[in-house]
Amino acid sequence: MTEKKKNITIRNTIITVAILSITTIISYFFSAGTNRAFNTTIFYILAVMFIARYTDGYVPGVIASFLSVLLVNFAFTYPYMKLNFSISGYPLTFAAMMIISSLTSTTTTHLKDQAKVITQQEKMLMETEKEKMRANLLRAISHDLRTPLTSIIGNSSTYLDNPDTLSEKDKRSLVQNIYDDSNWLLHMVENLLSVTRIREKDAHVSKTLEPLEEVISEAVTRLKKRLPDAKINVKIPDDFIMIPMDATLIEQVLINLLENGIYHANSTLPLDLEVTIDNGYARFSVTDYGVGIKKELLNTIFDGYTSTPSSSGDSRKGMGIGLSICKTIITAHDGKIWAENHENGARFTFILPLGEQVYDTEIECDSN
Amino acid sequence: MTQKLNVIVIEDEKNICNFIQTTLENHDYKVTTAATGKEGLSCITSCYPDVVLLDLGLPDIDGLEVLRQVRDFSTVPVIVISARIQETEKVAALDAGADDYITKPFGTSELLARIRTALRHSQASAPGKTEAVYRSGDLMIDFDKRLVTIAGQEIHLTQIEYKLVSLLAQNAGKVLTYDYIINHIWGPYADSNNQILRVNMAHIRRKMGENPAEPKYINTEIGVGYRMREE
Repeated sequence: MTEKKKNITIRNTIITVAILSITTIISYFFSAGTNRAFNTTIFYILAVMFIARYTDGYVPGVIASFLSVLLVNFAFTYPYMKLNFSISGYPLTFAAMMIISSLTSTTTTHLKDQAKVITQQEKMLMETEKEKMRANLLRAISHDLRTPLTSIIGNSSTYLDNPDTLSEKDKRSLVQNIYDDSNWLLHMVENLLSVTRIREKDAHVSKTLEPLEEVISEAVTRLKKRLPDAKINVKIPDDFIMIPMDATLIEQVLINLLENGIYHANSTLPLDLEVTIDNGYARFSVTDYGVGIKKELLNTIFDGYTSTPSSSGDSRKGMGIGLSICKTIITAHDGKIWAENHENGARFTFILPLGEQVYDTEIECDSN
Repeated sequence: MTQKLNVIVIEDEKNICNFIQTTLENHDYKVTTAATGKEGLSCITSCYPDVVLLDLGLPDIDGLEVLRQVRDFSTVPVIVISARIQETEKVAALDAGADDYITKPFGTSELLARIRTALRHSQASAPGKTEAVYRSGDLMIDFDKRLVTIAGQEIHLTQIEYKLVSLLAQNAGKVLTYDYIINHIWGPYADSNNQILRVNMAHIRRKMGENPAEPKYINTEIGVGYRMREE
């Protein structure tokens, strides 16, 4: 703290001395030969105002005005290079300069204080907003976690408590339920974990260039591992394309979107996953051919956890968190994500900037 | 009567340990478990395992350190168990001498497949026993004739591309890290930037007519490396 105070004092001194010197030099050239102390007084008043504006506290301004009066008296009024306090009107000049400097100092200090208070208030507001979001997210997470956990505990305790009465088929279905629910839980946890890869400081990710085809293939493979019956038509450009991204995160987004389509389209038609390149952006779209998105949800679908809980009976597979995490991830990539309805279903699209690096298209298919 | 293969599981989580043990014993392996790194190391020195399963998050010693110490005196296949998010950790383990890794959570079939692959490679690396032909689905690679065919059709690969494919095929089922591949194909002084590797892989995939969504022959493990399918 004292260190800081010292720094401020030094800074104030430097500013005061610098402004006064510059003023003295200017005044010297202007008043050379003439005997008009009047002009120089105006210059010094201006200087005092500047000093008051650019320093902290009242002291520099007051000292500066005092010095100014002395300087004007010493250098610019007759007799030159001598102090003479017997000039008429001198006390008035002195008083005027004093008043001007203290007024300016007061005003600027006041303004600075106000600005500080305002930024602090803004910070606090942002903090509470963040806190609110965090609380909402936590509530949504615990809800989404509790449902499958309840089912796991229920199924397994049924299994354990009735070893003799359950048929082989029932036992199998109980274990199958446990298996399904734990997979769902795992998916949730992976989603949440993926957010930790986003840097806290600037909400961005570390990008590396990744080949588009590898990212797509890994995403689809991982999804099929969990949902072997999923049907997905993939269409990507023939060119070899590298896109700057955090591949793990973009895979997560693709898996979330595809899974969302599988669970919510209420349709058995295959999904389309298409990637196109235009205008320096890679455009990924996941299209399903099902019931589409309810109009009232379209705008808030990525806010996830704030929307009304379970308007469909199947709240467990609610992708609330999944979609909001998609948005977080895409935003962290400086991209955009949106949802829309087409004639027979829903489409989720996101774009990622390709960056400066332009993909090379020299790959040719020479065989077959 | 054949002797049972000996697997050591070093894992501190009791439930996971139990599950692995039950699975492996059901498939005729002899299983020894260790809950700490120290215990695991003394197990490895005392009972000559055929495969080691090593969890990286151990309570006493870092899993990577255990791996390094094992590599000082043994070439036993080590399969590392790790979480999904940490690619860097996987790569570090592979570069430190692990034979493969398996991502938590894993299913029974995946675990058994990894163990079989590791065993096969440790036996194949014994001298005088390199296979002359690799086959997977329609793909066939004849290492003597330097010939790659898919469904009988010859695939024309460049020198580098052939080297890449054959390296992956000779290690089929195992994941090879970017650095390992670059070292083997372009030499130790090559640029560590893996773009050239990935461009070459893209060429190879196109020549093989791979479906980008579901590659049949070469799997990508982003951030880690490539893995060629096994028969």
